[in-house]
Amino acid sequence: MNGIIIGQFIPGDGFFYKVDPRSKIAGIFFLMIAVFLLKDIYQVLGALLLTFGLLIIGKISFIKVLKGLKPIFILLIFTFVFQILINRQGNILVDTNLNISLINIGLVIILFVIWRFLAKFKKFNFLLFLGFLFGSIFIFIYSSFSFDYNLTSFNLQIYEKGIEMSIFVVIRLLIIITLSTILTLTTKPTDLTQGLESLLSPLKKIGFNSEDFALIISISLRYIPTIFDEANKIMQAQASRGADFSEGKLKEKLKQVISLLIPMFIIAFMRSEELADAMESRNFVPGKARTRIHELNYSYRDVLVTAFTVVFFAVALLFRLNVLGY
Amino acid sequence: MGIRFNEVSHKYSSFSDGNLSAIYQVSLKIKAKDEFIALVGHTGSGKTTLAKHMNALIFPTEGNVEIFNKIITKKRNRDIKYNEIRKKVGLVFQFPEYQLFEETVLKDIMFGPLNFHISKEEARNLAINALKLVGLDESYSNRNPYNLSGGEKKRVSIAGILAMDPDILVLDEPTSGLDPAGKRVLMELFKDIHKRTNKTIIIITHDMDLVYEYFSRAVVMNEGELVYDGSPESLFKEHDLSKNHLDYPNTIKVLTHLNKTLKLNLNVYQKTAIDALKEIEKAGIL
Repeated sequence: MNGIIIGQFIPGDGFFYKVDPRSKIAGIFFLMIAVFLLKDIYQVLGALLLTFGLLIIGKISFIKVLKGLKPIFILLIFTFVFQILINRQGNILVDTNLNISLINIGLVIILFVIWRFLAKFKKFNFLLFLGFLFGSIFIFIYSSFSFDYNLTSFNLQIYEKGIEMSIFVVIRLLIIITLSTILTLTTKPTDLTQGLESLLSPLKKIGFNSEDFALIISISLRYIPTIFDEANKIMQAQASRGADFSEGKLKEKLKQVISLLIPMFIIAFMRSEELADAMESRNFVPGKARTRIHELNYSYRDVLVTAFTVVFFAVALLFRLNVLGY
Repeated sequence: MGIRFNEVSHKYSSFSDGNLSAIYQVSLKIKAKDEFIALVGHTGSGKTTLAKHMNALIFPTEGNVEIFNKIITKKRNRDIKYNEIRKKVGLVFQFPEYQLFEETVLKDIMFGPLNFHISKEEARNLAINALKLVGLDESYSNRNPYNLSGGEKKRVSIAGILAMDPDILVLDEPTSGLDPAGKRVLMELFKDIHKRTNKTIIIITHDMDLVYEYFSRAVVMNEGELVYDGSPESLFKEHDLSKNHLDYPNTIKVLTHLNKTLKLNLNVYQKTAIDALKEIEKAGIL
């Protein structure tokens, strides 16, 4: 529970730190749309290079962005594999039969055990995983014994377009995640909400109060760590009364989850009531015009960011409409 | 031997400024019976962290804690049943809101015993006894714990631990947030439980008056280190408390002040207000 950072803001002083949150949010939004307008693998590769360029300009370390990729790593692998298997256009590259038979399954299980055993040493985890993956594919393709009982066989076909599309989709995802990481790494949560509030303020005309919306977001962001802290304390208090969250029957476990949830709710309500009182005692009136300690100001950097976004968006649109004719 | 700390250090991991050291190289022995210990120290001195080690809620990052012959180290040991340790050493948290959750007081007190696989009837009896022990009569058993006053909630949370019948009882600031009279009633209650059952009781507190009046042993923490372990009497007589960010008991403060301003020669080491008054009367200035 200690490893959770919300917002992921890391203090620094690169280029993007000084950009106004409004132009950053709007810029990232339009850049993402632009990336979806691109249809070609070379175009998205170009966009990826440009995104890395942004990282270099902003002096943001690649390692931090890679860390941000970690949670969606499995998603990336899945999209990659599915695209390869499903897309059936272009020239055929690989066409083999996978024999799923008793001995083969046994061999794969042995390989799996070896992999899990080696994984205990915790080094080259990823390489080991790849080794396991390719090892099992190898077994399914090439091992066939005459005395074996074949359960079923599966025709594996990989097409040129499939590989291209899978790389295309993965790169597109990479760009989008890198862009959003730039935004969250370099913008304080408070600035982010203030920016959102300002950007959404035209919606007031149709009855959407962006100030309330921003307040709700900033309060919830502010209270996430607090609530985690409280949850930890409740867990310890109940563990001290013998609540064992790891073992026991399902019914007991349910009871123990309830013993966490109810104090959690009550404490959350207590907290919110206290917060409301504290805000009211400092004369907070919802909907009233307020001044701020930090006013948002545009600078030449915002012009640069906006110009970059407009050019990028325009080029992407032209590609999409085939005007550039390539 | 009940609980033994062998050079225990604990660091909390933190994002902003490295690891925060909560306690540092603490060695401490606590007997399984007949001890009545005050654990004192200013806010943030590591008292609560020390207390959480006593029933293996958190593990030391260095050193080890021996709790009823089970050795707790940095790593979780599959051979140790941590729940059994928690049955033997009961820890009452500072805020009762963190543990009350059932719809009736009695059910809430029964939660602990039931977790240790005690039959429902027996748990019920234990709970009723515990309720009596903390000075609440049976009319409370069907009330909603959230509709009680602060002091009553505290008593119910203490009863929740007492019903588990632990050998050692650790209480994190049980008297905080109570009025002076309520504090005394609660302290008398602990003293009474201690006398009747001979259980070792460890109480975390800020209140030096209570430490001086009630306890036979004081353990002082400062900046994560254990700086004093001995009787409260010699703590107040022979040690400079300001170094440890602590205060003297009111009786000592008042009598010392009188000695200074009126040039008297009173014996300042009086445990209760009544004793202090008698000392003043003896001097014949009233």
